[in-house]
Amino acid sequence: MLKCENLRFSYGKIQALNGISFEVKQGEIMSIIGANGAGKSTLMRCIAGMLKPQSGKIIYDGKPLPHSGHEVVGRGIALVPEGRWIFPNLTVEENLLMGGYLVKDRKIGIKRAYEMFRLLGERKKQRAGTLSGGEQQMLAIARGLMSNPKVLLMDEPSLGLAPLIVNDVINTIDEINKQGVTVLLVEQNARKALKIAHHACVIEQGKIVKYDTGDEIARDKSVISAYLGRNAKKTNNNIKELNN
Amino acid sequence: MFIQQFVNGISVGSVYALMAVGYALIYSLLNFTNFAHGISVTIGAFAAFFFLTYAMQNLLSGIIMGVIAAALLAAFIQLVAYRPLLKRNSKRIFLMIIGLGVSVIGDNLIIIAFSGRFRIFPVNFSSESIKIFGANIGVVDIIIFVVSMIALLIVELIIRKTRLGLAIRGASFSLDTTSLMGVNTYKLILTIFLIAGSLAGIAGALLGAKYTTYPSLGTFYTNKAFICAVFGGLGSLPGAMIGALILGVSESMISAYVSTGLRDLFSYFILIVILLVRPSGLMGKSSENKA
Repeated sequence: MLKCENLRFSYGKIQALNGISFEVKQGEIMSIIGANGAGKSTLMRCIAGMLKPQSGKIIYDGKPLPHSGHEVVGRGIALVPEGRWIFPNLTVEENLLMGGYLVKDRKIGIKRAYEMFRLLGERKKQRAGTLSGGEQQMLAIARGLMSNPKVLLMDEPSLGLAPLIVNDVINTIDEINKQGVTVLLVEQNARKALKIAHHACVIEQGKIVKYDTGDEIARDKSVISAYLGRNAKKTNNNIKELNN
Repeated sequence: MFIQQFVNGISVGSVYALMAVGYALIYSLLNFTNFAHGISVTIGAFAAFFFLTYAMQNLLSGIIMGVIAAALLAAFIQLVAYRPLLKRNSKRIFLMIIGLGVSVIGDNLIIIAFSGRFRIFPVNFSSESIKIFGANIGVVDIIIFVVSMIALLIVELIIRKTRLGLAIRGASFSLDTTSLMGVNTYKLILTIFLIAGSLAGIAGALLGAKYTTYPSLGTFYTNKAFICAVFGGLGSLPGAMIGALILGVSESMISAYVSTGLRDLFSYFILIVILLVRPSGLMGKSSENKA
């Protein structure tokens, strides 16, 4: 359904994506795990049309995706960006309205968002900047759903959230997927991202090094030692040092 | 005397507000000061002048012609000068420098095209006056105030109540995120220039009606409007309006009670003081990459 072929992208001399190819199948959750600086966010920004890859193709529904953010949204792909990027100066409801900019009748979407996230309904007139981190993440997800996307790209949704809230976020993603939205999830929080994923791949230094079902990846020895095990943090730090 | 000067100040201030809001709109989205704003004002004044001279003597129609000419010019400048730089994601300071260049080119082209002389609108609006509370109030001042306020109210309604306005408010926080919502940001920026240009056109036509029309009209008055926008806080629309009214009235009072010669000196002095003491102005937004 959504296919990347040999994507390359570099920031100046730093090669962030080094020939990435994978496919997300319709209706599934695909998780991409990898350390800081492995190129996960760059990949998401390329798919969302915010960055133009230097080479390679991104094909969705048999047609290449345009390299501009608003056209990608028009094709039915929405990004919930890393760090959430809600509009702090707008109210909760206005944030949702922004998410549904291309949708004619936004009332249905807003109603659905408030059913899904009751708290957002209670705070609809409040400025989004005053919400807590977890609430902001929920708003960012709800906003992403406002354009009725067929594919939702989620970039580090658990970043900076308390563990209990992370569980909420992960359950929400699972719920959204069960309603028929294909999800491409990028996470540092590998264990939780793999639990709900149908397929997963591991990205290291701009390359996909492993692709399998979520369960298989979670059982993979090298993945366990790098991202899941007790020593994961240490190894992660080593990778970070290597990258630096 | 005082009421007369106050009304005069409010009228000048409301024209400053038209131009300052144009600065603020563009600044709020793009974080740079559009120094090519002045030629839109000048073209607005000339368009109104020629319309009134050669077509029909109706100020309102003249203003509309001014609006069309100025808005088209602003859009043209955006497309030709700014968009290529925006597409390359250039530093904001380069956009500002391009704007200065466009402004100098524009001023000189206008002198070549229309000569440098001063032109008076064929209908002398500034001579008529009515008596209110024993003070002679110029009809032109009332027209200026009413037209400016209506224009600013329309812009405010667009920003508060429409889908376009929501996108503008969102984009003033982040253009990138706004594009992720499905907004074509290049189109949005073009629309902003059309709105700012329209306001500049009204300002030009009104200035032409109150004073005279000449090639450096836009540059002279937009410099004042820039001071108002900085005073109110760059990027803030209410700030720009309040700053404009305050500066208009203070200028008027200074030229009446102190000296006409000191008026402009005072304005620029204010600019320097604000930049030294409170660069973010009355209600400005702050960000790093701005010019």
